[in-house]
Amino acid sequence: MPSHENSDITPLLCADRVSMSFGEVPVLFSVSFDVKAGEVHALIGENGAGKSTLMKILGGFHQPTSGRILFEGEPTALPPFGQSEALGIVLIHQELNLAEQMTVEENIFLGREHSRSIFLDRKSMTELTRKYLADMGVDISPSTRISDLSIAEKQMVEIVKAMSRDAKVLIMDEPTAVLTEAETELFFRQVEKLKAKGVAIVFVSHKLPEVKKIADRVTILRDGQWIATKSTSDLTMDAMAQMMVGRELSNLYPPKNETDVDAEIVLAVRNMRTSEINDVSFDLRKGEILGFSGLVGSGRTALFEAICGIEPFESGEIFVDGVSTHFKSVAEARDAGITYLTKDRKGKGLLLQQTMRPNLSLFALPKFVKNFMMDTDAEEAALKRGIRRFDIRARDPKVLVGDMSGGNQQKLLLAKTMECEPRILIIDEPTRGIDVGTKQQIYHFIAALAADGMSVIVISSEMPEIIGVCHRVAVMREGRITGFVSGSEINETEIVRYAAGLKEAPAHV
Amino acid sequence: MNLTKTMLSLAVGGAIALSSSAFADDKIKIGVSYPTPTHAWAAGMNWHAEQAEKRLEALYPDVDLILVNSPDPSAQASALEDLVSVSQIDALVVLPFESEPLTDPVLNVKKSGALITVVDRGLSQPGIEDIYVAGNNPELGRVSAQYMKGRLSDGDNIVILRGIPTTIDNERFDAFMAEIEGSGINVLDHKHANWNRDDGFEVMQDFLSRFPDIDAVWAQDDDIAIGVVAALEQAGRTGDGMFVVGGAGMKETIKSIADGNELQPVDVLYPPAMIATAMDVTVAAFKSNGPVAGRYILGATLITQENAMQFYFPDSPF
Amino acid sequence: MSENAAAQPTKKSWPEIDFKTLGPAIALLILCIIGYSLNSAFLSEGNVTNLLTRSAFIGIIAIGATFVITAGGIDLSVGSMAAVIAGLMIIIMNNAVDTFGSGVATVLIGCGCSIILGIGAGWINGVLTTKGKIEAFIVTLGTMGIYRSLVTYFADGGTLSLDFAIRGTYRPVYYESFFGLPIPVWVFIAVSIVGWVLLNRTAFGRFCTAIGSSEAVAKYSAINVDRIKTYTYIIQGLCVALATIIYVPRLGSASGSTGVLWELEAIAAVIIGGTVLKGGYGRIGGTILGALILTTIGNILNFTDLISNYLNGTMQGLIIIIAVWLQRGSWGKNKKTKT
Repeated sequence: MPSHENSDITPLLCADRVSMSFGEVPVLFSVSFDVKAGEVHALIGENGAGKSTLMKILGGFHQPTSGRILFEGEPTALPPFGQSEALGIVLIHQELNLAEQMTVEENIFLGREHSRSIFLDRKSMTELTRKYLADMGVDISPSTRISDLSIAEKQMVEIVKAMSRDAKVLIMDEPTAVLTEAETELFFRQVEKLKAKGVAIVFVSHKLPEVKKIADRVTILRDGQWIATKSTSDLTMDAMAQMMVGRELSNLYPPKNETDVDAEIVLAVRNMRTSEINDVSFDLRKGEILGFSGLVGSGRTALFEAICGIEPFESGEIFVDGVSTHFKSVAEARDAGITYLTKDRKGKGLLLQQTMRPNLSLFALPKFVKNFMMDTDAEEAALKRGIRRFDIRARDPKVLVGDMSGGNQQKLLLAKTMECEPRILIIDEPTRGIDVGTKQQIYHFIAALAADGMSVIVISSEMPEIIGVCHRVAVMREGRITGFVSGSEINETEIVRYAAGLKEAPAHV
Repeated sequence: MNLTKTMLSLAVGGAIALSSSAFADDKIKIGVSYPTPTHAWAAGMNWHAEQAEKRLEALYPDVDLILVNSPDPSAQASALEDLVSVSQIDALVVLPFESEPLTDPVLNVKKSGALITVVDRGLSQPGIEDIYVAGNNPELGRVSAQYMKGRLSDGDNIVILRGIPTTIDNERFDAFMAEIEGSGINVLDHKHANWNRDDGFEVMQDFLSRFPDIDAVWAQDDDIAIGVVAALEQAGRTGDGMFVVGGAGMKETIKSIADGNELQPVDVLYPPAMIATAMDVTVAAFKSNGPVAGRYILGATLITQENAMQFYFPDSPF
Repeated sequence: MSENAAAQPTKKSWPEIDFKTLGPAIALLILCIIGYSLNSAFLSEGNVTNLLTRSAFIGIIAIGATFVITAGGIDLSVGSMAAVIAGLMIIIMNNAVDTFGSGVATVLIGCGCSIILGIGAGWINGVLTTKGKIEAFIVTLGTMGIYRSLVTYFADGGTLSLDFAIRGTYRPVYYESFFGLPIPVWVFIAVSIVGWVLLNRTAFGRFCTAIGSSEAVAKYSAINVDRIKTYTYIIQGLCVALATIIYVPRLGSASGSTGVLWELEAIAAVIIGGTVLKGGYGRIGGTILGALILTTIGNILNFTDLISNYLNGTMQGLIIIIAVWLQRGSWGKNKKTKT
């Protein structure tokens, strides 16, 4: 899909040398960007590069400090607060924007309900919703409540909602971040359809293979500066990554050092059962990075929430250093040196309305108490240490965590968890929704921790990261571990066979 | 007309208004409906109603009094329906929660053929009740003002603590002001103390800070007066002939008047016992040979050290 | 004293006024100027003492409410709780007179029972909300009705009065002064200091803030959410008990109309002070100012006859809204940014 075919077409939406600063902090420097009807234009860059700001300017949520916006060739001041939807410009936020307690149908027609005289015309809305969902190949009933859907399903509904609004320009902030591969495939098929209809699509992603696959053109931003806009076919993924980061990114994954097979077993789980987990057993050795792979909903998160005392379990045994244990609270697990780092950093990981300091010390708070009082000096020192160790880049230490980028939030969450000084660290989706540069940093942190003798469990839906980081991989399916792979066996085919149920190892540890 | 006179007229009474339906049952059933007591005055009323029930039922074995109290106007409306349908009452004594919402329910009771006695608060439509028994709010204000005029002279200063902003409060206040007018007594200011001890205390504290010269206080109500007295004592301004006039007839107040309290030498009666009067009159409608229907407005008697013990009911909660 | 309120320390020719912190203080200052211009007696020693003493009841209760609200809860039962504790204290002391005489022992028994009752009532609210998994609004609405009707029942619909023999012993707790300040004001100051330290300088305060910000984050950060929330209700109950201990000697009585609407006044004081109603951010200092503002409004209205008595509620409502508006407005602050 080379872009030069329609290079003579006037761009549908165009940002002309826009700059933006918040107060005195500049975040965009004279960036130009345009998108044409029937093309997919990817916007890539590290966290903090200004992608979100540019998208919000294109969606009318921010007014640029200088520069112009042209819509259909005319200079336009886009109306604020999402009113640009009326013009056909729809922005799908990363934080999904659905009314949780309303149904799929009600959400899709929110604000433009069909009615007959004074009554809602539920029948026509239900039928249309069903049609939209079917077009998209999504198997959800129009009357399902949003709160009962998985994140991936919510994402689908958000996309269906945008499409149902006859969008001319569709701006999507990391739409595939929470989608499984199958769902992503389905989503891309729909994007192709939209393209054929002449919709202009702006697509932000951290997944370069996806960009390579779906986008016609790609614009790279770095530190608020425009770096390049090129046809996707002219760029390799490595080139893209290099331009984003501004340095060589030869080694995304750190070298794997072999673990000592005779290292002591620090955590042993036997015959674990909960409502979602069915007879799971595994061992974890000192200094080992053990991956947990499997499809979304295969029970990986539920397993470790049960082990760490967050949720109760029905039966099973946990041995820490050979001693049978049963954590009744998260605090007990923490004190035993086991901490769980959630995949939902905004909902369960960080206090978004607070600054970094109270967030950093929260998990290990007893450590910061001196004579019954909070030792703020120790907290400050810990924050300085954490910022340095995990390379957290915040504009100033008083910024609210909710206003930090995803990558910095993830690093802060990691720093917060590490304040507990765990011996066993469980990281659920360590790099969800963060840029490639930060990903690389996090992989190196994990490797370094393991090299220091810590045992790490990495739960991930991203196959390359499981393959790139872990010494050994447990694959889960429907609440059970279907197999372990290690060493040279760790490859995509083998894992997928276990995950899809094509292969199952006999029950052993 | 005052309370004692009313009682007298009952004692001499003869039979009247004996509807034949009244004897359809073997007993005369009289429903008595009033709000659930949530403050002291209403609790006193509840006590007097219970006393009257015992007394009347002992006196007339064929009379059955049914006491019902309700926490809000709609509950009272339902209670009235039940009195008609379940108890099949021959007469109703009702102290309406609010005039407006209970007018229709009472009218429905009347349509069933029952005799209606309304107490204290009138209905919003005239002519429903056969008998009306009430205290006299304007009279309470007027009697209080008269006492003030007797004690104070031209140029003396008073402050007024009013109740909750309602018709009752306005009637008392307007009558007081009409009576005091032209006497030369200055009303420095009047504020609402909501018939509440704490509010009485705080409003009086502020009056004392604001006005260096106050000669007397009209507190209108005995609960407010308790707060006023505490504030006066705190400020040490109880001397120089300062006095407080309350109202209603709380038993503790009456007792202290009988004992010769100089700070609160009098009280003006607005008796919770009026429910008993209404029950007596209603029973008399069945038992007396004299005419009973009509309006009974009880006097706002000035209680002084001399007559205080007449109005003292030590067992009543009020 | 506040962690979040600070504005960006960027260089400015003009020091940025932090209205979030100063709003309530400015509102109180304006009220005082209005009060003084209406009548110079407003700032007389007597009136200022009255004001401070009166603020002590609502203030102490509101400090407890600051903890509950900061941790994302609400307690509507405090007014009724104060009434029922006052009633039971009076009954207990009246009965203790026969055994222990009318001296300090009886008063101490009364106060001790008050504290036990307060802690117990708070514990009930806390356990029902956390273990019972019922919304705090409903639990405390329920206990509000229960306590209110209990005091009416104990008083037989009337008024419970403290035995005159004990009043002499107990009366100084409200009326006496110590270094020029009435004892209730000292209690208020002590509770304020303890409350401030607890909320701003201890792990417990941090837990409250974290729970109010996000219960899920708190749970995943090894915080025993149920226990901490229950503690906030117990603190609230304890504050109500302390307020009751200094309330009872004032008039020596309790009835069904004692403490009516105190819960709303306490919540209003907390919110005027800058604490966020949905939780996650609390300010003890603001709460104290909020309580003073509420009492001052009533005091000023009693000091003037410029405004019709019937409009008292309007004035109070307006001033509450203005005070909150002063601290919520984004006065020249920069918009939030995404890094």
